[in-house]
Order: sequence, then C-alpha cells, then structure tokens
Amino acid sequence: MTDPVPRPAPQADRDSVPFWEGVEAGELRVQQCDACGRLRWPPREICGRCRSTASTWRALSGAGRIDSWIVAHQVFHPAFADSVPYTVLQVAVDEQPDIQMIGLYEGEGEPAFGMAVRAVFVRGSNGAMLVHWTPSPG
Amino acid sequence: MAVMQGFRDRVAIAGIGYTEFSKNSKVSTLTLATRAIAAAVADAGLEMDDVDGLATHRVGDSALPATVVHALGLRDPKWLLDLFGGGSASHSVVGQAALAIAAGVADTVVCYRAINARSEFRMGGTGRPLVDAAETQYQAPYGYMAPPQQFAMMARAHMEKYGTTAEQLGAVAVTQRGHAAMNERAMMRHPITLDDYLASRWIVEPFRLFDCCLETDVAVALVLTSAERARDLQRPSVLIRGIAWGGGFTLYSSDRPDSTRSAAADLAPRLFEQAGVGPRDIDVAELYDCFTYSVLVQLEDYGFCKKGEGGPFFESGATALGGSIPVNTHGGFLSEGYAHGLNHIAEAVSQLRGSAADRQVEGAEIALSTSQPGYIAGNTSALILRRAP
Repeated sequence: MTDPVPRPAPQADRDSVPFWEGVEAGELRVQQCDACGRLRWPPREICGRCRSTASTWRALSGAGRIDSWIVAHQVFHPAFADSVPYTVLQVAVDEQPDIQMIGLYEGEGEPAFGMAVRAVFVRGSNGAMLVHWTPSPG
Repeated sequence: MAVMQGFRDRVAIAGIGYTEFSKNSKVSTLTLATRAIAAAVADAGLEMDDVDGLATHRVGDSALPATVVHALGLRDPKWLLDLFGGGSASHSVVGQAALAIAAGVADTVVCYRAINARSEFRMGGTGRPLVDAAETQYQAPYGYMAPPQQFAMMARAHMEKYGTTAEQLGAVAVTQRGHAAMNERAMMRHPITLDDYLASRWIVEPFRLFDCCLETDVAVALVLTSAERARDLQRPSVLIRGIAWGGGFTLYSSDRPDSTRSAAADLAPRLFEQAGVGPRDIDVAELYDCFTYSVLVQLEDYGFCKKGEGGPFFESGATALGGSIPVNTHGGFLSEGYAHGLNHIAEAVSQLRGSAADRQVEGAEIALSTSQPGYIAGNTSALILRRAP
C-alpha cells in the first residue's frame, strides 16, 4: 500500500547511529557495558548501573515477548491515514526484559501478553529499514 | 525533615482565575493568559502591581512569562519561571513558586497556563508536529507518537496483569461527567451512561473516545503569596501543606518497574510525610486525568486502595461525590476541560474554601492534587493543600 505522505523516517542522533546502522544490516544491536556486563538501549555513553563509560556493541537474537500492545484507530499523522487500524507492540527483549522496544505487529490475530515474537526487518515506504515483530511459535 | 516541615503551611493560594473553557477561544494565548491572571488577582483582592513573579509550564505552545510580564506592565519582576514540560510539570510550577516565596525572593507570584489546545495546537497529537525528543526516532516511524497511544499501552498492561475492565475505565468517565453536570464552567455537562461509554468510538484500543480528555482552549491562573499576607486578604486562606517532586519511568529507564506502576508510588510517601497526613486524611482528590486509566493507577499509587484494585475501588462508588474520597469533583479534564493541571489545583482551592456550590464536599479540609503520574515525561509532582485553621 502506498502511504499518502511518507512515514516519519528514523532521525538518528549522535548516540544512535550504530543502532540504526545495525537495523539497516538486519541486526538489533545494543551496547553491553564492558565493566558490569549489563545491556543498555537506547544508546548512551554511560552505564546507568555501574557508571562505566566503556561498552561494546552486540547483536541481540531478535527474540522477545509482548509486554503490551495497542490498536491505533485515530490518525495522528497523515502518513498512517490509510493504515488504520494498526497494531503497535511494546516488546521486552529476551536477553534483558527491561529493554523494551516499540514496533509494528506483523501477525494474524490478536496479540497476547507474554506472546513470543521475533524481530523482522522491513524496508518502509520512505526507504528506511525498520524493526517489526512477528509471532515466533515454540 | 526539619527543612520540609519548615516549609509546611508557609505559602497560600489566595486567588484563582479562569477564562471560558472552549473549543475555540478566538484569541491568542497571551490574551488568554492576561485575562486569567487579571481574574485571579481580582479574586485575591490584590492589585496587579502587587504581582512580582510569574510562572508557567509550556511545551512550546504558549506565551512565555517574559512576554506576559511586559503585557501586564509589570516593570521589575523579581522572579520568573518558564518550565518546559507537559502535565507532569503542572504542580511542579506551583511548588517552585512556593519555594521562591518561602525563600523571600518574591512576594506574590501568579502561576498560569494558557493554551489553545484545540484550535491551535492539538494536545492529543492529531496533526501536531513530532515531539523533538530523543525517543521520537524509536517510536514515530511505527505510528506511535501521541499521548493517547502511550497511555493506552500502559492501560493494556494493567488490564492484562490485574484484570482491569473496560467497564471500570468507563466508570471513571461516567462518574466524572456526573460531577461536571454540577459545574457551570464545565464544557461537557450532559450525563452519559456506561452504554454510551462502551458505544463511543475507538481512539486507540483499549481507549474509546470517552477515555480521553477534552482538548480545550483556556487559561487558568493561581495567585500565591505568603500565608501571613493571605490571612489579611478577602478569601479564606488555602495553604500549601506539602509539595513533592518525583522522577518517573519512561519506556527507556534502566531497571524500570513494569508498566502498571507509576512514579506516584515513589512520590506519595514523601509527600504525605512532608504534609504530616496520610491517604485517609484526604477529603477530596483532584487527580490528573489525561485518560481514565491515569485516575485508576493513581488511586493505587497514592495509597487509596491496594495495588491492582483501582478499577474495583472506583466502581464501588468511593470516588463519587458523597463517597469516602471524592475524585475530580469538577469533572476533570474528561468533562470540565483541559487546563494542563491548573484547573485541578483551582478546584481543590474552591473545595477548601467551601465555595464549590452543588459539588461541595462537605467539611473538606485537606485536598490532594496531582500532575501526570510520571509516565512518558519521566517526572511528576503533586500538592497537598489545606484550609487554614
């Protein structure tokens, strides 16, 4: 389907460029603290737990579970006028569930709390690669 | 604790002022601001030249204090505050002004909020430019960019975890509409039933139209001065008993609790300690109701009922006028209109003055008024007010 106007493209900031480069390459990359091992996302220099500023980018498996979801009916942005109703998920990633990501649901039927999903990489109408989530049985 | 108790009851809200709540004010936010400020100063029995401080919160949508101060001809303001922030900042502004007065930096400060949130800058997000925030890049590409969506996400999690029902969300909308019917300022005064609620169109599931607050053009202003000075003014004194600030949890906070808990749960104990009261002492509560769900989560997180029981508690009738803890006696944002937090404080003042007419909570002495409970913006604030003895 063609969107009436282009959807908002991700506007990377100086911290998030490596994340969006990862998405473009089909990977969900987050930082891992070199000192305490904790994962962090969205990208930032300092670890909120041990305050180390040393970190390494690491690819996640892309597996997660649905923490919550909504079905959008009201059109808040003209790019989505022909897409409503659409389902948006809040997904807790398996490696560290307090890392939660927003993304569109690519699946049949109603989502459910705790449902296993996996990230899929979809190129949007504006040319940017985005992260959607699809049911991942078993 | 000594410092906090030293602040207790030292500052009063001496005047309140409103413009009309409407869908199209046909005037600028500057004009709305000066009208509400003039009304509040007159209500207090003061002269405009008594005002030596102004404060507001904005999200880039309104006249700034430095502009308003010149429009009013106030030549030498001693204290101005222009706070960027939405509903989580509303009560913060009043708290900051109270600190400035208690510290002797200013004598009389007017806090105001002037918005054309329907005719110029739709607060609900429809057609609005994307928010300039770091997290927008992770949300807007997926069509997730508006407050109703963000609160619906939290509400769904609560429904899943605690069994909160659509009927319980609906009880908030129906009850508050009933209160608004007794409020001549309210925009929406015709009663609604639970069936009307359930039949209203989806905005973003699980929210229907009647889960969402009104978008309103309005200004509300509050005059703050020292308790000592307020004693000599024409209105019964309403004292600031406690003010507290809290952090919040955005979706991107490290170690965040689950989505069903708001930062009000952290703020509430220090607010009550500061005020020297507990939830049972509160006679009336004006809780930030951008959406029905935010009322339920605050009833839990401020300790009026157990965690997870906000829905059944509201459904029991406890929060209606005549109940044990009447909530949003003016109808709230859902039915009176949306002044971004300040109309909740103004209503609390009316209740404590005993001037709330048909919706008066008999013998109200202590009120709680809260801001957005810390979802999304990552901060929150709340006030406890009392009638001067």
